[in-house]
Amino acid sequence: MMISGGVGGNSASSSLSSKALTASTTSLSASGKRIQREMSELNMDPPPDCSAGPKGDNLYHWVATIIGPQGTPYEGGIYFLDITFPSDYPFKPPKVVFKTRIYHCNVDTAGNLIIDILNDSWSPALTITKVLLAIRSIFTNPNPSDKPLIPGIARLYLADREKYDELAAEWTRRFAK
Amino acid sequence: MVSVEEPKPSPKNPVANGQNVDGVFSPRFKSMAALAGWDEEALLLASLVVEDTPERETKNKKRSDLLFKTPPSNSRRKRRAQRKSPISIPVAVLDLDEEETTRKGTESEKKNPEMKNVVNDEKKKGANESPEQNSSVSCSSSGLPCMDKLREELSCAICLEICFEPSTTPCGHSFCKKCLRSAADKCGKKCPKCRQLISNGRSCTVNTVLWNTIQLLFPHEVEARKAAGALNSREAGCKIPETAFYNNLRNESTRASGVSSRDTSSRRRRGTVSHVENAALAIRSQRGDEDQSQERGVYNNVRIRSSQPGVSSRDTRVRARRGMLSQDEDAALALRLQREEFMDAFRETSEQSSSSLSLARANLRAMASRAINLRIRGRTNM
Repeated sequence: MMISGGVGGNSASSSLSSKALTASTTSLSASGKRIQREMSELNMDPPPDCSAGPKGDNLYHWVATIIGPQGTPYEGGIYFLDITFPSDYPFKPPKVVFKTRIYHCNVDTAGNLIIDILNDSWSPALTITKVLLAIRSIFTNPNPSDKPLIPGIARLYLADREKYDELAAEWTRRFAK
Repeated sequence: MVSVEEPKPSPKNPVANGQNVDGVFSPRFKSMAALAGWDEEALLLASLVVEDTPERETKNKKRSDLLFKTPPSNSRRKRRAQRKSPISIPVAVLDLDEEETTRKGTESEKKNPEMKNVVNDEKKKGANESPEQNSSVSCSSSGLPCMDKLREELSCAICLEICFEPSTTPCGHSFCKKCLRSAADKCGKKCPKCRQLISNGRSCTVNTVLWNTIQLLFPHEVEARKAAGALNSREAGCKIPETAFYNNLRNESTRASGVSSRDTSSRRRRGTVSHVENAALAIRSQRGDEDQSQERGVYNNVRIRSSQPGVSSRDTRVRARRGMLSQDEDAALALRLQREEFMDAFRETSEQSSSSLSLARANLRAMASRAINLRIRGRTNM
């Protein structure tokens, strides 16, 4: 009686407005909506060897895990990552940081990693799923040529692959298991 | 027209056993029916699931807007009449769930069932939302087996929802117009999907065919987005509490007067009091009635004030109704009300329920204080 009196007795419009009211109370901003959407998609169809989700109540801080892919020196290791979404996500890339130490030419000692899609090549059409898959791909194919974060490891990777594998497997045993 | 339509849904009655109505008529059939001028609602009457009604209505309305400008048969009043006349028949025959019967009971009031439907609708939506996001159920809601793929295909890669006013890049990728525009602003003028350069002129036009298709395939999502957009633009947050407040005031005034009159009448009926007291009581209750009428006048004025906030007119009205009461009379009124309250408290007998008494008392107290406040305010305004 009260609501329809305000809107004008039109059932269609009153139902619309009440729907909109619930929508506005349940959802936040465009970025929050998108992150929620990604979360449900990730739960529905998780990428292989990866998982991700909000750390706590904050939708913008996630924690993710990637299991070291088979056939690499990182096999069997569990790598934790922190993901921070900017407020204007998806127009700006999320920040991803390794929490588990890893012997890799594209990840520095603080856990920062360099992949192009998280910097200049970011596109709003990319999702966290794709980002995780891209990170997983650098386990199998390190990128020593394109401005490696740790040039020493990149050089070793190019020069002595066996030694590199050995060291990486040693770090995996020590830090990621 | 009704006679043609009515036999249609009867073979499809199994829907009433809890199945989803949408599964019965494919969207194509529905649009064909709309084109032919058939009332979709009338078609679905026998298999009507109550919670679906408002959604269906909005869909119907939207479609009629889309397809023909002046639908001859879709006038609101007519549709309502159609709905009401045959609705009693399927209810009696089909024995739907109890929500139908409650709806039937309250149908004399025009707005209540609608409100209830809205609530039901929301409940249903809330229940459906999570599975729909999981997209396993979503195909059944529209009847097409390829609905999941369509949903994926027609989603905007930026907001991940169904494209709203899709705009297509020269490279052939479509996004919501708003999403594409902000992507071009914040991430450079390249396609988010293939990174080809896009010119900003083309990217602002809506792909009409695609947009119409989306509106036909996902009317619920489109309506929700539209409603959300409308809400954001006009900030309706403060509007509703205000009206609720005034309505409350009005309700309270009517309820208070009703309760107190009942109270005085019951007091009159009581036979255990002595004659003297009876006489005094009669006088007092008479006076009480006067007070009530005065107070009703005050409340009327409050009501008037809520609708037209002109200070001077309000003041004159208050005074005209009340016939210029002095401050002493105000105090006397308050005193009398308080005394009555005390008397009631002492005279509480078994035949009177204490709850109604306390309610009446609280009302009286509130009325007295409010009347005094109002008068004081009126005087200070002078």
